[in-house]
Amino acid sequence: MALLQNQLHNFCWPQYTHSKKNIKITMISRSLFRERLYLYIMKRILIIAVCLLFTVSVHAQAPVLALDEHNKYIYYEVVDLPGISADSLNKNSAYFTREEYPKNKSVQISNTSAVIRDKFLTYASFVKHENGEIHYILNIECKDSKYRYWLTDFVFTPYQRDRYGVFVPVTGINIQLENASSKIDKKELAGYLDQTTIFCTQLREKLKKYMAEGEKTKKLEQPPVKKIVTDKW
Amino acid sequence: MKKVLLLLSLFIVVIMSAKAEITAHIDTGKAAAAPAPAPPDPPLVISGSVDTYWKYDFSGHANIPTSFASDQNSVSIGMIDLGLKKTVGKASFVGELSFGPRGQYQSVPNGDGSAANGNNSFHIQNLYINYNVTDKFSLAAGYMSTFIGYEVISPTGNFNYSTSYLFTSGPFENAGFKATYAFSDKVSLMAGIFNDNWNVYTSARDVSTFGAQLTVTPVKNWTAYLNVATGPTSGTIFDLTTAYQITDAFKLGLNGATFTPAHGGGGYDGIALYPQLAVSKVVTFGLRGEYFETKAIGTTPKSNITAITATANIKTGPLTFIPEVRFDNGKNQIFTDSNGAPTKSASQFLLAAVYAF
Repeated sequence: MALLQNQLHNFCWPQYTHSKKNIKITMISRSLFRERLYLYIMKRILIIAVCLLFTVSVHAQAPVLALDEHNKYIYYEVVDLPGISADSLNKNSAYFTREEYPKNKSVQISNTSAVIRDKFLTYASFVKHENGEIHYILNIECKDSKYRYWLTDFVFTPYQRDRYGVFVPVTGINIQLENASSKIDKKELAGYLDQTTIFCTQLREKLKKYMAEGEKTKKLEQPPVKKIVTDKW
Repeated sequence: MKKVLLLLSLFIVVIMSAKAEITAHIDTGKAAAAPAPAPPDPPLVISGSVDTYWKYDFSGHANIPTSFASDQNSVSIGMIDLGLKKTVGKASFVGELSFGPRGQYQSVPNGDGSAANGNNSFHIQNLYINYNVTDKFSLAAGYMSTFIGYEVISPTGNFNYSTSYLFTSGPFENAGFKATYAFSDKVSLMAGIFNDNWNVYTSARDVSTFGAQLTVTPVKNWTAYLNVATGPTSGTIFDLTTAYQITDAFKLGLNGATFTPAHGGGGYDGIALYPQLAVSKVVTFGLRGEYFETKAIGTTPKSNITAITATANIKTGPLTFIPEVRFDNGKNQIFTDSNGAPTKSASQFLLAAVYAF
Protein backbone atom coordinates (compact mmCIF):
# COMPACT_ATOMS: atom_id res chain seq x y z
CA MET A 1 0.00 0.00 0.00
CA ALA A 2 2.84 2.33 0.91
CA LEU A 3 4.45 1.54 -2.39
CA LEU A 4 1.21 2.36 -4.19
CA GLN A 5 0.90 5.71 -2.31
CA ASN A 6 4.49 6.55 -3.15
CA GLN A 7 3.86 5.80 -6.81
CA LEU A 8 0.68 7.85 -6.77
CA HIS A 9 2.60 10.80 -5.27
CA ASN A 10 5.21 10.58 -8.01
CA PHE A 11 2.41 10.44 -10.46
CA CYS A 12 0.75 13.70 -9.39
CA TRP A 13 3.81 15.71 -8.38
CA PRO A 14 4.37 17.41 -11.78
CA GLN A 15 0.69 18.46 -11.87
CA TYR A 16 1.01 20.35 -8.52
CA THR A 17 4.11 22.10 -9.79
CA HIS A 18 2.11 23.41 -12.64
CA SER A 19 -0.75 24.39 -10.38
CA LYS A 20 1.45 26.84 -8.49
CA LYS A 21 1.59 29.00 -11.62
CA ASN A 22 -2.00 28.92 -12.80
CA ILE A 23 -5.33 27.97 -11.17
CA LYS A 24 -6.82 26.88 -14.47
CA ILE A 25 -3.91 24.64 -15.12
CA THR A 26 -4.35 23.23 -11.62
CA MET A 27 -7.95 22.35 -12.35
CA ILE A 28 -6.96 20.59 -15.56
CA SER A 29 -4.12 18.88 -13.79
CA ARG A 30 -6.48 17.50 -11.16
CA SER A 31 -8.72 16.04 -13.82
CA LEU A 32 -5.62 14.70 -15.54
CA PHE A 33 -4.51 13.29 -12.22
CA ARG A 34 -7.81 11.46 -11.77
CA GLU A 35 -7.59 10.12 -15.27
CA ARG A 36 -4.04 8.92 -14.83
CA LEU A 37 -4.94 7.35 -11.51
CA TYR A 38 -7.76 5.55 -13.22
CA LEU A 39 -5.45 4.39 -16.01
CA TYR A 40 -2.87 3.26 -13.49
CA ILE A 41 -5.41 1.15 -11.62
CA MET A 42 -6.81 -0.27 -14.85
CA LYS A 43 -3.35 -1.29 -15.98
CA ARG A 44 -2.73 -3.12 -12.70
CA ILE A 45 -6.13 -4.88 -12.95
CA LEU A 46 -5.31 -5.90 -16.51
CA ILE A 47 -1.94 -7.36 -15.53
CA ILE A 48 -3.49 -9.28 -12.63
CA ALA A 49 -6.31 -10.55 -14.88
CA VAL A 50 -3.86 -11.75 -17.52
CA CYS A 51 -1.73 -13.47 -14.84
CA LEU A 52 -4.83 -15.18 -13.41
CA LEU A 53 -6.02 -16.34 -16.82
CA PHE A 54 -2.53 -17.64 -17.64
CA THR A 55 -2.41 -19.56 -14.34
CA VAL A 56 -5.83 -21.07 -14.96
CA SER A 57 -4.90 -22.10 -18.50
CA VAL A 58 -1.63 -23.67 -17.27
CA HIS A 59 -3.56 -25.67 -14.67
CA ALA A 60 -6.07 -26.89 -17.28
CA GLN A 61 -3.37 -27.93 -19.74
CA ALA A 62 -3.35 -31.50 -21.03
CA PRO A 63 -0.26 -33.61 -20.49
CA VAL A 64 2.45 -33.54 -23.12
CA LEU A 65 4.39 -36.32 -24.76
CA ALA A 66 7.29 -37.13 -22.43
CA LEU A 67 9.95 -39.81 -22.02
CA ASP A 68 9.49 -42.49 -19.37
CA GLU A 69 12.19 -44.21 -17.29
CA HIS A 70 12.94 -46.51 -20.26
CA ASN A 71 13.36 -43.53 -22.57
CA LYS A 72 10.16 -44.35 -24.43
CA TYR A 73 7.62 -41.74 -25.38
CA ILE A 74 4.69 -41.72 -23.00
CA TYR A 75 1.50 -39.68 -22.63
CA TYR A 76 0.59 -40.10 -18.98
CA GLU A 77 -2.02 -38.67 -16.64
CA VAL A 78 -3.57 -39.44 -13.29
CA VAL A 79 -7.14 -38.16 -13.06
CA ASP A 80 -9.02 -37.67 -9.80
CA LEU A 81 -12.71 -38.52 -9.77
CA PRO A 82 -13.73 -38.11 -6.13
CA GLY A 83 -16.59 -40.31 -4.98
CA ILE A 84 -16.45 -42.90 -7.75
CA SER A 85 -15.42 -46.38 -6.68
CA ALA A 86 -12.74 -48.42 -8.43
CA ASP A 87 -15.40 -50.91 -9.46
CA SER A 88 -17.47 -48.23 -11.21
CA LEU A 89 -14.39 -46.80 -12.89
CA ASN A 90 -13.47 -50.24 -14.18
CA LYS A 91 -16.95 -50.64 -15.62
CA ASN A 92 -16.65 -47.24 -17.26
CA SER A 93 -13.26 -48.18 -18.63
CA ALA A 94 -14.66 -51.43 -20.07
CA TYR A 95 -17.55 -49.46 -21.59
CA PHE A 96 -15.06 -47.05 -23.14
CA THR A 97 -13.12 -49.88 -24.79
CA ARG A 98 -16.32 -51.53 -26.06
CA GLU A 99 -17.59 -48.30 -27.59
CA GLU A 100 -14.35 -46.88 -28.94
CA TYR A 101 -12.64 -50.12 -30.01
CA PRO A 102 -15.60 -52.31 -31.03
CA LYS A 103 -13.67 -54.42 -33.55
CA ASN A 104 -10.34 -54.51 -31.78
CA LYS A 105 -9.40 -58.07 -30.84
CA SER A 106 -6.34 -57.06 -28.84
CA VAL A 107 -8.31 -55.51 -25.97
CA GLN A 108 -7.41 -57.10 -22.61
CA ILE A 109 -9.62 -56.21 -19.67
CA SER A 110 -9.00 -57.35 -16.11
CA ASN A 111 -10.62 -56.34 -12.82
CA THR A 112 -8.40 -53.31 -12.42
CA SER A 113 -7.04 -52.45 -15.81
CA ALA A 114 -7.45 -52.42 -19.58
CA VAL A 115 -4.81 -52.72 -22.27
CA ILE A 116 -5.56 -51.83 -25.88
CA ARG A 117 -3.28 -52.05 -28.91
CA ASP A 118 -4.37 -49.90 -31.80
CA LYS A 119 -3.14 -47.42 -34.38
CA PHE A 120 -3.97 -44.05 -35.88
CA LEU A 121 -3.17 -42.54 -39.25
CA THR A 122 -0.82 -39.66 -39.89
CA TYR A 123 -1.28 -37.23 -42.73
CA ALA A 124 1.01 -35.33 -45.07
CA SER A 125 0.86 -31.59 -44.67
CA PHE A 126 1.22 -30.46 -48.29
CA VAL A 127 -1.74 -32.40 -49.62
CA LYS A 128 -4.08 -34.22 -47.31
CA HIS A 129 -3.37 -37.92 -47.64
CA GLU A 130 -2.27 -40.67 -45.32
CA ASN A 131 1.50 -40.89 -45.07
CA GLY A 132 1.82 -43.38 -42.25
CA GLU A 133 0.31 -45.05 -39.25
CA ILE A 134 1.40 -45.04 -35.62
CA HIS A 135 0.72 -48.08 -33.48
CA TYR A 136 0.36 -47.55 -29.75
CA ILE A 137 -0.62 -49.27 -26.53
CA LEU A 138 -3.19 -47.66 -24.26
CA ASN A 139 -3.22 -48.71 -20.61
CA ILE A 140 -5.95 -47.75 -18.13
CA GLU A 141 -5.79 -48.55 -14.42
CA CYS A 142 -8.42 -47.68 -11.83
CA LYS A 143 -8.51 -47.17 -8.08
CA ASP A 144 -11.10 -45.66 -5.78
CA SER A 145 -11.69 -42.02 -6.74
CA LYS A 146 -9.03 -41.94 -9.43
CA TYR A 147 -7.72 -43.57 -12.54
CA ARG A 148 -4.59 -43.29 -14.60
CA TYR A 149 -3.96 -43.95 -18.23
CA TRP A 150 -0.95 -43.85 -20.47
CA LEU A 151 -0.21 -44.28 -24.14
CA THR A 152 3.17 -45.65 -25.07
CA ASP A 153 5.09 -47.95 -27.46
CA PHE A 154 4.55 -45.64 -30.41
CA VAL A 155 5.74 -47.35 -33.59
CA PHE A 156 5.61 -45.57 -36.93
CA THR A 157 5.07 -47.33 -40.26
CA PRO A 158 5.33 -45.15 -43.37
CA TYR A 159 2.80 -45.41 -46.19
CA GLN A 160 3.52 -45.47 -49.89
CA ARG A 161 1.21 -45.21 -52.85
CA ASP A 162 0.68 -48.59 -54.45
CA ARG A 163 0.06 -49.35 -58.12
CA TYR A 164 -3.67 -48.79 -57.68
CA GLY A 165 -3.24 -45.24 -56.38
CA VAL A 166 -3.98 -46.20 -52.78
CA PHE A 167 -1.73 -45.44 -49.82
CA VAL A 168 -0.69 -48.62 -48.01
CA PRO A 169 1.84 -49.46 -45.26
CA VAL A 170 5.40 -50.19 -46.37
CA THR A 171 5.99 -53.80 -45.44
CA GLY A 172 8.65 -54.36 -42.83
CA ILE A 173 9.34 -50.75 -41.85
CA ASN A 174 8.42 -50.27 -38.19
CA ILE A 175 10.18 -47.40 -36.44
CA GLN A 176 9.99 -46.74 -32.70
CA LEU A 177 9.25 -43.02 -32.40
CA GLU A 178 11.99 -42.51 -29.79
CA ASN A 179 14.55 -43.97 -32.23
CA ALA A 180 13.13 -42.27 -35.27
CA SER A 181 15.54 -39.36 -35.44
CA SER A 182 18.14 -41.61 -37.06
CA LYS A 183 15.65 -42.86 -39.64
CA ILE A 184 13.25 -40.02 -40.40
CA ASP A 185 13.85 -36.47 -41.51
CA LYS A 186 13.80 -34.04 -38.57
CA LYS A 187 10.93 -31.94 -39.89
CA GLU A 188 8.86 -35.01 -40.77
CA LEU A 189 9.44 -36.46 -37.32
CA ALA A 190 8.33 -33.22 -35.68
CA GLY A 191 5.09 -33.50 -37.68
CA TYR A 192 4.51 -37.08 -36.51
CA LEU A 193 5.16 -36.12 -32.88
CA ASP A 194 2.71 -33.22 -33.17
CA GLN A 195 0.07 -35.50 -34.64
CA THR A 196 0.71 -38.03 -31.87
CA THR A 197 0.15 -35.36 -29.22
CA ILE A 198 -3.06 -34.21 -30.91
CA PHE A 199 -4.32 -37.78 -31.10
CA CYS A 200 -3.49 -38.43 -27.43
CA THR A 201 -5.23 -35.22 -26.38
CA GLN A 202 -8.36 -36.15 -28.32
CA LEU A 203 -8.35 -39.62 -26.77
CA ARG A 204 -7.88 -38.06 -23.33
CA GLU A 205 -11.02 -35.98 -23.75
CA LYS A 206 -13.06 -38.98 -24.85
CA LEU A 207 -11.75 -41.10 -22.00
CA LYS A 208 -12.49 -38.36 -19.47
CA LYS A 209 -16.09 -38.26 -20.62
CA TYR A 210 -16.52 -42.02 -20.43
CA MET A 211 -14.80 -42.38 -17.07
CA ALA A 212 -16.90 -39.62 -15.51
CA GLU A 213 -20.24 -40.63 -16.99
CA GLY A 214 -19.93 -44.33 -17.86
CA GLU A 215 -22.90 -45.76 -19.68
CA LYS A 216 -24.78 -42.50 -19.24
CA THR A 217 -22.53 -41.17 -21.95
CA LYS A 218 -24.90 -40.97 -24.85
CA LYS A 219 -24.13 -40.46 -28.44
CA LEU A 220 -24.98 -37.00 -29.62
CA GLU A 221 -28.45 -37.01 -31.01
CA GLN A 222 -29.51 -34.80 -33.84
CA PRO A 223 -31.38 -31.80 -32.42
CA PRO A 224 -35.06 -31.92 -33.37
CA VAL A 225 -35.92 -29.88 -36.42
CA LYS A 226 -37.61 -26.68 -35.38
CA LYS A 227 -41.15 -26.28 -36.66
CA ILE A 228 -42.28 -22.97 -38.01
CA VAL A 229 -45.92 -22.12 -38.58
CA THR A 230 -46.22 -19.87 -41.60
CA ASP A 231 -49.97 -19.36 -41.78
CA LYS A 232 -49.98 -16.97 -38.83
CA TRP A 233 -47.77 -13.94 -38.82
CA MET B 1 -7.12 5.97 -23.49
CA LYS B 2 -9.73 4.74 -21.05
CA LYS B 3 -11.74 3.38 -23.93
CA VAL B 4 -8.69 1.70 -25.38
CA LEU B 5 -7.91 0.00 -22.09
CA LEU B 6 -11.49 -1.08 -21.59
CA LEU B 7 -11.63 -2.45 -25.11
CA LEU B 8 -8.31 -4.19 -24.59
CA SER B 9 -9.57 -5.86 -21.40
CA LEU B 10 -12.72 -6.94 -23.15
CA PHE B 11 -10.71 -8.23 -26.10
CA ILE B 12 -8.44 -10.32 -23.88
CA VAL B 13 -11.38 -11.84 -22.00
CA VAL B 14 -13.19 -12.64 -25.27
CA ILE B 15 -10.06 -14.13 -26.83
CA MET B 16 -9.32 -16.28 -23.78
CA SER B 17 -12.85 -17.62 -23.54
CA ALA B 18 -13.06 -18.20 -27.30
CA LYS B 19 -9.71 -19.98 -27.24
CA ALA B 20 -10.89 -22.25 -24.42
CA GLU B 21 -13.99 -23.10 -26.44
CA ILE B 22 -12.03 -23.79 -29.62
CA THR B 23 -9.53 -25.96 -27.74
CA ALA B 24 -12.34 -28.01 -26.27
CA HIS B 25 -13.83 -28.44 -29.71
CA ILE B 26 -10.55 -29.49 -31.32
CA ASP B 27 -9.68 -31.83 -28.49
CA THR B 28 -12.89 -33.75 -28.63
CA GLY B 29 -13.03 -33.55 -32.37
CA LYS B 30 -16.81 -33.21 -32.08
CA ALA B 31 -19.27 -31.48 -29.84
CA ALA B 32 -18.36 -32.21 -26.24
CA ALA B 33 -20.84 -35.02 -25.66
CA ALA B 34 -20.20 -37.15 -28.70
CA PRO B 35 -18.28 -40.28 -27.86
CA ALA B 36 -17.99 -43.06 -30.42
CA PRO B 37 -19.35 -41.15 -33.39
CA ALA B 38 -19.26 -42.79 -36.78
CA PRO B 39 -15.84 -41.90 -38.21
CA PRO B 40 -16.17 -39.19 -40.84
CA ASP B 41 -15.43 -40.06 -44.43
CA PRO B 42 -11.88 -39.10 -45.36
CA PRO B 43 -11.54 -36.02 -47.53
CA LEU B 44 -10.74 -36.09 -51.22
CA VAL B 45 -7.19 -37.36 -51.37
CA ILE B 46 -4.87 -35.77 -53.90
CA SER B 47 -1.49 -37.29 -54.60
CA GLY B 48 0.96 -37.72 -57.40
CA SER B 49 4.47 -37.19 -58.64
CA VAL B 50 6.68 -35.35 -61.07
CA ASP B 51 9.86 -36.78 -62.58
CA THR B 52 12.63 -35.68 -64.86
CA TYR B 53 15.92 -37.28 -65.95
CA TRP B 54 19.11 -37.08 -67.95
CA LYS B 55 20.54 -40.20 -69.54
CA TYR B 56 23.78 -40.91 -71.33
CA ASP B 57 24.30 -44.19 -73.16
CA PHE B 58 28.04 -44.80 -73.56
CA SER B 59 27.57 -45.79 -77.19
CA GLY B 60 26.52 -42.21 -77.88
CA HIS B 61 23.00 -43.16 -78.85
CA ALA B 62 19.97 -44.72 -77.18
CA ASN B 63 20.50 -48.46 -77.05
CA ILE B 64 18.73 -50.25 -74.21
CA PRO B 65 15.15 -50.95 -75.27
CA THR B 66 13.36 -51.13 -71.93
CA SER B 67 10.54 -48.74 -71.04
CA PHE B 68 11.00 -45.07 -70.12
CA ALA B 69 14.22 -43.05 -69.64
CA SER B 70 14.69 -43.45 -73.38
CA ASP B 71 16.12 -40.08 -74.47
CA GLN B 72 19.87 -39.90 -75.11
CA ASN B 73 21.88 -37.00 -73.68
CA SER B 74 18.81 -34.91 -73.04
CA VAL B 75 17.24 -33.40 -69.97
CA SER B 76 13.86 -35.01 -70.47
CA ILE B 77 10.59 -35.32 -68.67
CA GLY B 78 8.91 -38.42 -67.36
CA MET B 79 5.43 -37.37 -66.41
CA ILE B 80 3.27 -35.44 -64.04
CA ASP B 81 0.99 -37.89 -62.36
CA LEU B 82 -2.17 -36.70 -60.59
CA GLY B 83 -4.23 -39.06 -58.51
CA LEU B 84 -7.58 -38.48 -56.83
CA LYS B 85 -9.25 -40.78 -54.35
CA LYS B 86 -12.47 -40.36 -52.47
CA THR B 87 -14.21 -42.72 -50.09
CA VAL B 88 -17.77 -42.34 -48.92
CA GLY B 89 -18.93 -45.15 -46.68
CA LYS B 90 -18.04 -48.41 -48.37
CA ALA B 91 -17.61 -46.99 -51.85
CA SER B 92 -14.53 -45.32 -53.23
CA PHE B 93 -13.06 -44.28 -56.52
CA VAL B 94 -9.54 -43.71 -57.78
CA GLY B 95 -8.81 -41.55 -60.77
CA GLU B 96 -5.18 -41.16 -61.83
CA LEU B 97 -4.15 -39.06 -64.79
CA SER B 98 -0.68 -38.79 -66.25
CA PHE B 99 0.79 -36.29 -68.65
CA GLY B 100 4.16 -36.68 -70.33
CA PRO B 101 5.92 -39.42 -72.33
CA ARG B 102 6.06 -41.86 -69.42
CA GLY B 103 2.39 -41.42 -68.70
CA GLN B 104 1.14 -41.26 -72.27
CA TYR B 105 2.53 -42.95 -75.39
CA GLN B 106 5.19 -44.87 -73.47
CA SER B 107 2.67 -46.61 -71.21
CA VAL B 108 -0.99 -46.11 -72.03
CA PRO B 109 -2.80 -45.95 -75.37
CA ASN B 110 -4.28 -42.89 -76.96
CA GLY B 111 -8.01 -43.11 -77.40
CA ASP B 112 -9.96 -46.33 -77.51
CA GLY B 113 -7.99 -48.00 -80.27
CA SER B 114 -10.12 -46.74 -83.14
CA ALA B 115 -8.44 -44.64 -85.83
CA ALA B 116 -10.94 -41.83 -85.28
CA ASN B 117 -9.75 -41.48 -81.69
CA GLY B 118 -6.07 -41.85 -82.44
CA ASN B 119 -5.36 -38.29 -81.40
CA ASN B 120 -7.47 -38.37 -78.25
CA SER B 121 -5.30 -39.24 -75.31
CA PHE B 122 -7.24 -40.29 -72.25
CA HIS B 123 -4.21 -40.03 -69.93
CA ILE B 124 -5.65 -42.69 -67.61
CA GLN B 125 -3.39 -44.71 -65.32
CA ASN B 126 -6.12 -45.79 -62.93
CA LEU B 127 -9.83 -45.25 -63.18
CA TYR B 128 -11.88 -47.61 -61.09
CA ILE B 129 -14.59 -47.85 -58.50
CA ASN B 130 -14.22 -50.01 -55.43
CA TYR B 131 -16.89 -51.28 -53.06
CA ASN B 132 -16.05 -52.90 -49.73
CA VAL B 133 -18.87 -55.39 -49.24
CA THR B 134 -17.40 -56.33 -45.86
CA ASP B 135 -14.12 -55.71 -44.10
CA LYS B 136 -12.75 -58.78 -45.87
CA PHE B 137 -14.49 -58.74 -49.22
CA SER B 138 -14.26 -56.03 -51.85
CA LEU B 139 -15.22 -55.54 -55.48
CA ALA B 140 -13.57 -53.27 -58.03
CA ALA B 141 -14.21 -52.43 -61.65
CA GLY B 142 -12.53 -50.17 -64.17
CA TYR B 143 -9.12 -49.58 -65.75
CA MET B 144 -6.42 -50.53 -63.27
CA SER B 145 -2.67 -50.93 -63.07
CA THR B 146 -1.82 -54.54 -63.64
CA PHE B 147 -1.50 -56.90 -60.73
CA ILE B 148 1.35 -58.66 -62.55
CA GLY B 149 5.01 -57.90 -61.90
CA TYR B 150 7.36 -56.14 -59.51
CA GLU B 151 7.82 -52.79 -61.21
CA VAL B 152 5.17 -50.21 -62.03
CA ILE B 153 4.69 -47.23 -64.33
CA SER B 154 4.89 -44.59 -61.61
CA PRO B 155 8.51 -43.74 -60.76
CA THR B 156 7.58 -43.42 -57.07
CA GLY B 157 6.70 -47.12 -57.01
CA ASN B 158 10.10 -48.29 -58.29
CA PHE B 159 13.53 -48.20 -56.72
CA ASN B 160 15.36 -48.19 -60.06
CA TYR B 161 14.51 -45.46 -62.53
CA SER B 162 15.10 -47.52 -65.66
CA THR B 163 12.92 -50.58 -65.96
CA SER B 164 13.43 -54.29 -66.39
CA TYR B 165 12.82 -56.41 -69.47
CA LEU B 166 10.20 -58.29 -67.46
CA PHE B 167 8.31 -55.06 -66.82
CA THR B 168 8.61 -53.88 -70.41
CA SER B 169 7.39 -57.19 -71.80
CA GLY B 170 4.56 -57.75 -69.34
CA PRO B 171 1.20 -56.02 -68.98
CA PHE B 172 0.98 -52.42 -67.74
CA GLU B 173 -2.76 -52.19 -67.31
CA ASN B 174 -5.75 -54.49 -67.07
CA ALA B 175 -9.32 -53.25 -67.49
CA GLY B 176 -11.89 -55.47 -65.86
CA PHE B 177 -13.82 -56.52 -62.81
CA LYS B 178 -12.26 -58.19 -59.79
CA ALA B 179 -13.21 -59.48 -56.36
CA THR B 180 -10.80 -59.75 -53.44
CA TYR B 181 -11.31 -61.78 -50.30
CA ALA B 182 -9.00 -61.73 -47.28
CA PHE B 183 -9.04 -65.11 -45.57
CA SER B 184 -6.80 -63.79 -42.82
CA ASP B 185 -4.06 -61.24 -42.24
CA LYS B 186 -1.73 -63.63 -44.04
CA VAL B 187 -3.72 -64.90 -47.00
CA SER B 188 -5.95 -63.20 -49.53
CA LEU B 189 -7.18 -64.05 -53.00
CA MET B 190 -8.13 -61.82 -55.89
CA ALA B 191 -9.93 -63.20 -58.92
CA GLY B 192 -11.35 -61.30 -61.83
CA ILE B 193 -12.28 -61.15 -65.45
CA PHE B 194 -10.51 -58.65 -67.67
CA ASN B 195 -10.59 -57.35 -71.25
CA ASP B 196 -9.28 -59.70 -73.94
CA ASN B 197 -6.08 -57.66 -74.43
CA TRP B 198 -3.68 -56.03 -72.01
CA ASN B 199 -3.21 -52.25 -71.99
CA VAL B 200 -6.44 -51.27 -73.71
CA TYR B 201 -9.29 -49.04 -72.66
CA THR B 202 -11.69 -51.04 -74.82
CA SER B 203 -11.72 -54.76 -75.57
CA ALA B 204 -11.26 -55.88 -79.16
CA ARG B 205 -14.00 -58.47 -78.86
CA ASP B 206 -14.83 -59.58 -75.32
CA VAL B 207 -13.90 -59.72 -71.67
CA SER B 208 -12.09 -63.03 -71.68
CA THR B 209 -8.86 -62.78 -69.71
CA PHE B 210 -9.07 -64.51 -66.38
CA GLY B 211 -6.77 -63.09 -63.70
CA ALA B 212 -6.01 -64.16 -60.17
CA GLN B 213 -3.60 -63.17 -57.44
CA LEU B 214 -2.89 -65.16 -54.31
CA THR B 215 -1.24 -63.00 -51.66
CA VAL B 216 0.63 -64.79 -48.90
CA THR B 217 2.55 -63.42 -45.94
CA PRO B 218 4.55 -66.44 -44.77
CA VAL B 219 6.40 -64.53 -42.07
CA LYS B 220 6.32 -60.98 -40.80
CA ASN B 221 7.74 -58.51 -43.33
CA TRP B 222 7.65 -61.01 -46.18
CA THR B 223 4.89 -60.85 -48.77
CA ALA B 224 4.55 -62.98 -51.89
CA TYR B 225 2.13 -62.61 -54.79
CA LEU B 226 1.40 -65.53 -57.07
CA ASN B 227 -0.23 -64.18 -60.21
CA VAL B 228 -1.81 -65.59 -63.30
CA ALA B 229 -3.52 -63.97 -66.28
CA THR B 230 -4.77 -66.16 -69.07
CA GLY B 231 -7.07 -65.71 -72.02
CA PRO B 232 -7.61 -66.86 -75.61
CA THR B 233 -6.41 -63.50 -76.93
CA SER B 234 -3.91 -62.25 -74.37
CA GLY B 235 -2.07 -65.51 -73.77
CA THR B 236 -0.95 -66.85 -70.44
CA ILE B 237 1.42 -65.33 -67.93
CA PHE B 238 2.44 -66.81 -64.60
CA ASP B 239 4.24 -64.41 -62.30
CA LEU B 240 5.79 -64.51 -58.84
CA THR B 241 6.48 -61.20 -57.14
CA THR B 242 7.84 -61.12 -53.63
CA ALA B 243 9.66 -58.79 -51.26
CA TYR B 244 11.18 -59.50 -47.86
CA GLN B 245 12.35 -56.74 -45.54
CA ILE B 246 14.91 -58.94 -43.81
CA THR B 247 16.29 -56.27 -41.48
CA ASP B 248 15.51 -52.59 -40.96
CA ALA B 249 18.18 -51.80 -43.54
CA PHE B 250 18.11 -54.73 -45.94
CA LYS B 251 15.34 -55.69 -48.33
CA LEU B 252 15.31 -58.39 -50.95
CA GLY B 253 12.82 -58.49 -53.80
CA LEU B 254 12.30 -61.07 -56.50
CA ASN B 255 10.26 -61.27 -59.66
CA GLY B 256 9.92 -64.27 -61.92
CA ALA B 257 7.57 -64.71 -64.86
CA THR B 258 6.85 -66.92 -67.81
CA PHE B 259 4.67 -65.85 -70.71
CA THR B 260 3.22 -67.80 -73.62
CA PRO B 261 1.24 -65.96 -76.28
CA ALA B 262 -2.14 -67.34 -77.29
CA HIS B 263 -1.07 -67.94 -80.89
CA GLY B 264 2.11 -68.25 -82.89
CA GLY B 265 4.59 -69.36 -80.25
CA GLY B 266 7.33 -67.34 -78.69
CA GLY B 267 6.99 -65.61 -75.34
CA TYR B 268 9.57 -65.19 -72.62
CA ASP B 269 10.85 -66.31 -69.24
CA GLY B 270 12.70 -64.13 -66.80
CA ILE B 271 13.84 -63.58 -63.29
CA ALA B 272 15.01 -60.45 -61.51
CA LEU B 273 16.51 -59.99 -58.07
CA TYR B 274 16.34 -56.67 -56.17
CA PRO B 275 18.62 -56.40 -53.11
CA GLN B 276 18.52 -52.98 -51.40
CA LEU B 277 20.54 -51.67 -48.48
CA ALA B 278 19.74 -48.48 -46.56
CA VAL B 279 23.03 -47.02 -45.38
CA SER B 280 21.49 -43.97 -43.74
CA LYS B 281 18.11 -42.30 -43.44
CA VAL B 282 18.93 -40.42 -46.63
CA VAL B 283 20.77 -42.91 -48.83
CA THR B 284 19.80 -46.39 -49.99
CA PHE B 285 21.79 -48.46 -52.48
CA GLY B 286 20.19 -51.11 -54.60
CA LEU B 287 20.98 -53.57 -57.37
CA ARG B 288 18.78 -55.16 -59.96
CA GLY B 289 20.11 -58.30 -61.52
CA GLU B 290 17.96 -59.67 -64.31
CA TYR B 291 18.08 -62.64 -66.61
CA PHE B 292 15.60 -62.47 -69.46
CA GLU B 293 15.11 -65.09 -72.14
CA THR B 294 12.98 -64.95 -75.24
CA LYS B 295 11.52 -68.27 -76.31
CA ALA B 296 12.14 -69.71 -79.75
CA ILE B 297 9.63 -68.73 -82.38
CA GLY B 298 9.59 -70.27 -85.85
CA THR B 299 13.14 -70.43 -87.10
CA THR B 300 14.33 -67.83 -84.60
CA PRO B 301 16.11 -69.54 -81.72
CA LYS B 302 15.74 -68.43 -78.18
CA SER B 303 17.98 -65.66 -76.90
CA ASN B 304 18.76 -64.02 -73.63
CA ILE B 305 19.96 -60.86 -71.93
CA THR B 306 21.57 -60.31 -68.57
CA ALA B 307 21.24 -56.83 -67.08
CA ILE B 308 22.82 -55.40 -63.96
CA THR B 309 21.62 -52.04 -62.66
CA ALA B 310 23.17 -50.25 -59.70
CA THR B 311 20.99 -47.48 -58.27
CA ALA B 312 21.09 -45.10 -55.34
CA ASN B 313 18.06 -43.36 -53.86
CA ILE B 314 18.99 -40.12 -52.13
CA LYS B 315 15.97 -38.76 -50.34
CA THR B 316 15.38 -35.30 -49.02
CA GLY B 317 11.79 -34.97 -47.91
CA PRO B 318 9.50 -35.65 -50.87
CA LEU B 319 12.34 -35.40 -53.38
CA THR B 320 14.41 -38.40 -54.45
CA PHE B 321 17.58 -38.15 -56.55
CA ILE B 322 18.34 -41.33 -58.45
CA PRO B 323 21.81 -41.80 -59.92
CA GLU B 324 21.98 -45.08 -61.77
CA VAL B 325 24.40 -47.05 -63.89
CA ARG B 326 23.34 -50.02 -65.99
CA PHE B 327 25.13 -52.75 -67.94
CA ASP B 328 23.25 -55.04 -70.30
CA ASN B 329 24.78 -58.05 -71.99
CA GLY B 330 22.99 -60.07 -74.64
CA LYS B 331 23.66 -63.55 -75.96
CA ASN B 332 23.38 -62.14 -79.45
CA GLN B 333 24.55 -58.83 -80.89
CA ILE B 334 21.37 -56.93 -80.20
CA PHE B 335 22.94 -53.56 -79.38
CA THR B 336 25.12 -51.20 -81.39
CA ASP B 337 28.39 -49.59 -80.40
CA SER B 338 29.53 -46.00 -80.93
CA ASN B 339 30.28 -46.75 -84.60
CA GLY B 340 26.88 -48.28 -85.14
CA ALA B 341 28.30 -51.82 -85.36
CA PRO B 342 26.38 -54.68 -83.71
CA THR B 343 27.57 -55.59 -80.25
CA LYS B 344 26.50 -57.77 -77.38
CA SER B 345 26.68 -55.15 -74.64
CA ALA B 346 25.37 -51.73 -73.76
CA SER B 347 25.79 -49.45 -70.79
CA GLN B 348 24.29 -46.20 -69.64
CA PHE B 349 24.27 -43.69 -66.81
CA LEU B 350 21.28 -41.66 -65.76
CA LEU B 351 20.38 -39.14 -63.14
CA ALA B 352 16.73 -38.69 -62.28
CA ALA B 353 14.78 -36.56 -59.85
CA VAL B 354 11.38 -37.68 -58.61
CA TYR B 355 9.13 -35.50 -56.47
CA ALA B 356 6.20 -37.22 -54.78
CA PHE B 357 3.25 -35.48 -53.16
